[in-house]
Amino acid sequence: MSVDARQSFATLRMPSGFGGLLPALVLITLFFLVPVVALLLRSVTEPEPGLQNYAALFGDGTYARVFFNTFLVASVVTAVTVVVAFPVAWMLAIMPPVLGSIVFGVIILSMWTNLLTRTYAWMVLLQRTGVINRTLIGLGVVDEPLPLINNLTGVTIGMVYIMLPFMILPLVGTLRAIDPMTLRAAALCGASPIAAFRRILLPLSLPGIAAGGLMVFVMSLGYFVTPALLGGTSNMMLAEMIAQMIQSLLNWGLGSAAAFILLAVTMALYALQLRLVGAKRLAGGV
Amino acid sequence: MKLIFAGIMAGLLTTTAAQAEEIVFTSWGGTTQEAQTKSWAEPFTVESGIKVLQDGPTDYGKLKAMVDSGNVSWDVVDVEMDFAIKAAKDGLLEPIDFNVVPKADLDPRFTTEHAVGSFYYSFVLAWNKGAVSGEPAGWADMFDLAKFPGKRTFYKWSAPGVIEIALLADGVPADKLYPLDLDRAFNKLDTIKPEIVWWSGGAQSQQLIASGEATFGQLWNGRVFALQEEGADVGVSWNQNMTAADVLVVPKGAKNKDLAMKFLAAATSPKGQASFAEASGYAPINTAAKAEMPEDVVESLPDAYVEGQINLDMNYWAENRDAIAERWYAWQAQ
Repeated sequence: MSVDARQSFATLRMPSGFGGLLPALVLITLFFLVPVVALLLRSVTEPEPGLQNYAALFGDGTYARVFFNTFLVASVVTAVTVVVAFPVAWMLAIMPPVLGSIVFGVIILSMWTNLLTRTYAWMVLLQRTGVINRTLIGLGVVDEPLPLINNLTGVTIGMVYIMLPFMILPLVGTLRAIDPMTLRAAALCGASPIAAFRRILLPLSLPGIAAGGLMVFVMSLGYFVTPALLGGTSNMMLAEMIAQMIQSLLNWGLGSAAAFILLAVTMALYALQLRLVGAKRLAGGV
Repeated sequence: MKLIFAGIMAGLLTTTAAQAEEIVFTSWGGTTQEAQTKSWAEPFTVESGIKVLQDGPTDYGKLKAMVDSGNVSWDVVDVEMDFAIKAAKDGLLEPIDFNVVPKADLDPRFTTEHAVGSFYYSFVLAWNKGAVSGEPAGWADMFDLAKFPGKRTFYKWSAPGVIEIALLADGVPADKLYPLDLDRAFNKLDTIKPEIVWWSGGAQSQQLIASGEATFGQLWNGRVFALQEEGADVGVSWNQNMTAADVLVVPKGAKNKDLAMKFLAAATSPKGQASFAEASGYAPINTAAKAEMPEDVVESLPDAYVEGQINLDMNYWAENRDAIAERWYAWQAQ
């Protein structure tokens, strides 16, 4: 092959690679980038040109509290989800395939049930006169019903349950890729199970935790139904506040500004995580 | 790229172009919209041949966005009355054509230049008989933690009702409610704030009371009616019941404005109103409707409890909607 031919072959390859991306790019441009830019424009043009919407958001104690609540809930939910998901993912990774696929099916099945139905079910379980409190009082464990709903506890329980599959799925992938021999080697070298977990399993599963954690965190930031139904009004999150601004107050400018701040913070966190964990590991490579 | 974009836009435009003899009706979903479909839309289609497509739920942000962008896909929308008054001022609504919609028998409380009543309801005091000792007599009891301990439930959103209840409980006479003394109302609400459970939709209010999770609360009369029909052990006090209304509006620039007016005429007719009231437990806004209804249904409606009844001031709320809402949500989030 002549030098010329090789060159033209190389220049041909690049565009054809991009060609495959075209549908996705068009879709993202039309339905994500354009609306986001429109949103940004609204936030600095309504009701009049200027930064007054951002000034109002940063200058007001209520909004600051709602921002704080939003990140608090997302952080707590992510942390608890990691702790609950890890053992399940590990079981799935080492289980015989047949049994594993059954457990997997159960986890996936929960995602197919309507979100509102599941949240209402939690209300029935968690409320003062609910199944959990009645049982605890009946057994004499507590005298007064535990406050499990209309507070951060309720939001965390309800959201962890919804987020679990999104944590388990990437974790299983990472854990399956870990050679079980590394753990056996650690044991042979005298490492206790705890040391083996801390020094071998945990560092090796970090990419899965990071990928799942990022997904859970970002999804939690924008969550609406579950916090609205299981939380109290003092746990209001940003999504609910934006809905109020736009649906009830018709204040598109303020709502757009709040939405844009949320987007900017999310992007910043993603960038930070890319730096800390590395893009390759985040994408699932070990 | 440009070509693709133009192609998609062209496609969108042709599919949303108005079809002949067809309107889109938007309401809040659930049993209310079901009753509206059965009582208004279906008979209307049979009589006029005009198809009524159902959409929902009502979303004020969407309504404004449609009018702003000039691409209005809703022809008739069920909205809260204070919103309708505000929206008319903001130029979001078409005026009602009273040459097509007969006005004579419409309750003047719920009729404006840009809106006709959809139905009206009362906020009443309802309680779970198993969870409350004794019988709450009025709104003041909701603030008496010594006599009535336990959780109480109120409507979550900033809307006419809760502020007025707090003021009445604090001793403000019913005819001196407006202009609302917000400081006084929030101070009163502060005294029971930790014991308040907020309900955001009708189904939730029913669940809270029926389960005893909240011992008593401020509910829509239609929802209490439904609970009692189902056999729940629920008591109700109509003392100082507060009327508010949903109204029907036509968004500015609606594509089938003329057909929409015909639909409004059918929906507000004595027959349409009677049939809807029977199905929903909410009250008709056409004063001639009662003649078409069974006696026992008439007796269960807010009209049977006009003594001490308070008409929430929709004009005041329309005027102060945004300012109150801002304060309301800030207070709730504290």
